[in-house]
Amino acid sequence: MNPLIFTTILMTVLLGTMIVMMSSHWLMIWIGFEMNLLAIIPILMKKYNPRTMEASTKYFLTQATASMLLMMAIIINLMHSGQWTITKVFNPTASIIMTSALAMKLGLTPFHFWVPEVTQGISLTSGLILLTWQKLAPMSILYQISPSINLNILLTMAVLSILVGGWGGLNQTQLRKIMAYSSIAHMGWMTAVLAYNPTLTMLNMLIYIMMTLTMFMLFIHSSSTTTLSLSHTWNKTPLTTTLILITLLSMGGLPPLSGFMPKWMIIQELTKNNSIILPTLMAIMALLNLYFYMRLTYSTSLTMFPSTNNMKMKWQFETKRITFLPPLIVMSSLLLPLTPMLSILD
Amino acid sequence: MLKIIIPTIMLMPLTWLSKKNMIWINTTTYSLLISLISLSLLNQPSNNSLNFSLMFFSDPLSAPLLVLTTWLLPLMLMASQHHLSKEPLTRKKLYITMLTMLQTFLIMTFTATELISFYILFEATLVPTLIIITRWGNQTERLNAGLYFLFYTLMGSLPLLVALISIQNLTGSLNFLLIQYWNQALPDSWSNIFLWLACMMAFMVKMPLYGLHLWLPKAHVEAPIAGSMVLAAILLKLGGYGMLRITTMLNPQTSFMAYPFLMLSLWGMIMTSSICLRQTDLKSLIAYSSVSHMALVIVAVLIQTPWSYMGATALMIAHGLTSSMLFCLANSNYERTHSRTMILARGLQTLLPLMAAWWLLASLTNLALPPSINLIGELFVVMSSFSWSNITIILMGANITITALYSLYMLITTQRGKYTHHINSIKPSFTRENALMALHMTPLLLLSLNPKIILGFTY
Repeated sequence: MNPLIFTTILMTVLLGTMIVMMSSHWLMIWIGFEMNLLAIIPILMKKYNPRTMEASTKYFLTQATASMLLMMAIIINLMHSGQWTITKVFNPTASIIMTSALAMKLGLTPFHFWVPEVTQGISLTSGLILLTWQKLAPMSILYQISPSINLNILLTMAVLSILVGGWGGLNQTQLRKIMAYSSIAHMGWMTAVLAYNPTLTMLNMLIYIMMTLTMFMLFIHSSSTTTLSLSHTWNKTPLTTTLILITLLSMGGLPPLSGFMPKWMIIQELTKNNSIILPTLMAIMALLNLYFYMRLTYSTSLTMFPSTNNMKMKWQFETKRITFLPPLIVMSSLLLPLTPMLSILD
Repeated sequence: MLKIIIPTIMLMPLTWLSKKNMIWINTTTYSLLISLISLSLLNQPSNNSLNFSLMFFSDPLSAPLLVLTTWLLPLMLMASQHHLSKEPLTRKKLYITMLTMLQTFLIMTFTATELISFYILFEATLVPTLIIITRWGNQTERLNAGLYFLFYTLMGSLPLLVALISIQNLTGSLNFLLIQYWNQALPDSWSNIFLWLACMMAFMVKMPLYGLHLWLPKAHVEAPIAGSMVLAAILLKLGGYGMLRITTMLNPQTSFMAYPFLMLSLWGMIMTSSICLRQTDLKSLIAYSSVSHMALVIVAVLIQTPWSYMGATALMIAHGLTSSMLFCLANSNYERTHSRTMILARGLQTLLPLMAAWWLLASLTNLALPPSINLIGELFVVMSSFSWSNITIILMGANITITALYSLYMLITTQRGKYTHHINSIKPSFTRENALMALHMTPLLLLSLNPKIILGFTY
């Protein structure tokens, strides 16, 4: 589309999220969410075909429902507290409704059904924006109301998300759906620690965004959207296969890569608060995630032919310029020794 | 300790910057030099540990394991030269980088002070091993083998992470040097039973314990030679080392929690030895023999007497060298016939007599012939288990007999008798292979002259 219009729409998305993150008036926050939603629909529909239309419609309907629920929770809060400032939520009903609304926006279980379908229907770049930037705004609101969220609901949603994210991804071969289920599971980890130490939620969000950015950029670079076409990258750029291996192992949470850091910190925080069964269960369920990442690495980097052969090759389009990929790769795999630096996040 | 770690890390730039005809020479030479540095650690003042810094220390238990680790890297490099000779240069360098990364993590694991650092490096050794097994293994089963290896170990070790963090909350620090001084008895409760289980299961899977050993034959058989060597010699000993360290914190529950695992180990060593008698696959036989020897180590660690700890440590070092040597011998067969079936390569003594001498020495040490350190280890374990309960002598005696049976079975099948008619075009033994066997055997034989350096911290 016209570059000027595209820039304007993209800036509106950014502006919407910024308004959400920086406002102290509940109505402005709701306006920010709506601005974000309306502006991202054209970005989701960059290619105009029925599949994208369907995905954008699903996204719009779920997010609009969530915004309405959010508005209802804001009004109930206004009724009980008499003011519009964002602080802790004063009424348990409002808190539950607000948590459900934000969970719908994030894609937590039991509101996760839209994530794989929407992510699959849109292009890789739009999927990237959907799974990383769009999570920032709801997460910042959850961070701000974290003292008043009902712990039972939060932990149930978190554990179920990790479970669904792990199990749902097992049967997938489409890369965008795999990334969607991975996003559901990571959101589960982030919300589990929200009530105990919200700083770790932010840390997990940061590292998750880095790793997802890296993965999507590697997929865009090799223009692959299925596992089969990803397995052909060794023909085009063999180095990409190694990078995919490292980033996928980091997403699975294997030490010594940086994906282990949020899991370790979250387990530490939960154990300090005397819940021991919960982090053990969460850690074991994260192994389901690791299984389908391993399957991807098996088809991509760990089973290569010893020499050139008759396999189908990818058509060599002009190489897409991916800015920023090397620093991202370094940050998404080598940050674990910097764990003591986490004290700056406070 | 940095004088060992930094040179090992620098082996990686060495491989990437070496010329094509110098990579093997450079890496083997420098890794041999690094192993010489680690020998200086064996000079331990009695009953205490050498504390180099806040993060690294070495005591009479970890020093022999460290020397074994650093000694094994040049041997692995020598053993891998043949099967990598046809690969492109970048892949050779990648392979050596994986081995060096694994070596660095292993050195740091054996010398770690803080138990969480030990855990992270323990898990970190999984990644290069997985890549070596899955990428450079030879059969299609290697994919399944890698998955089994990764997931068995991770399922066992994630509860260990939670247990370590909760111990840190209760006691304030996980620094091993502190823990051994302010150790208090664990009160008896259901949650402490789960704590004991969470701490020990990771190492039980790694050792492996008899019921959880399914990953080991797969991983050992499908791995390339360097992978098999490092798996058998060092990675299994990580489990033993971890158990020896963590049982100091877990008293007095070990006295009743250990019973199921003792039963599984005692029964398992007989079962796996018996399976060895019916194996057709040579590498699989050596893998099951590893399970059997490690079951002895588990019994020794769980009994917790000074003699059993001495036996466990000696057995770990002896088994490391012997098992690694057996895998090298099996690999020399595999490189010639491209098959692991034992009966396809019979009667090798007529064709390769010097290799037959190495086969004889390796089989004799495997069955714990006096005066080798294998015997010292096994004898101490048998004696201490007899004093723990008189009946175990039946099982231990049966195990020693069956071990002798399958070791001699392996020797006779591969070496003695008439050679097969299709084997007359194999290449003679390379000097590299003979050097490899000699470098395995010489420490094993020399240690029988002074076994007190491998007898651990209860000597």
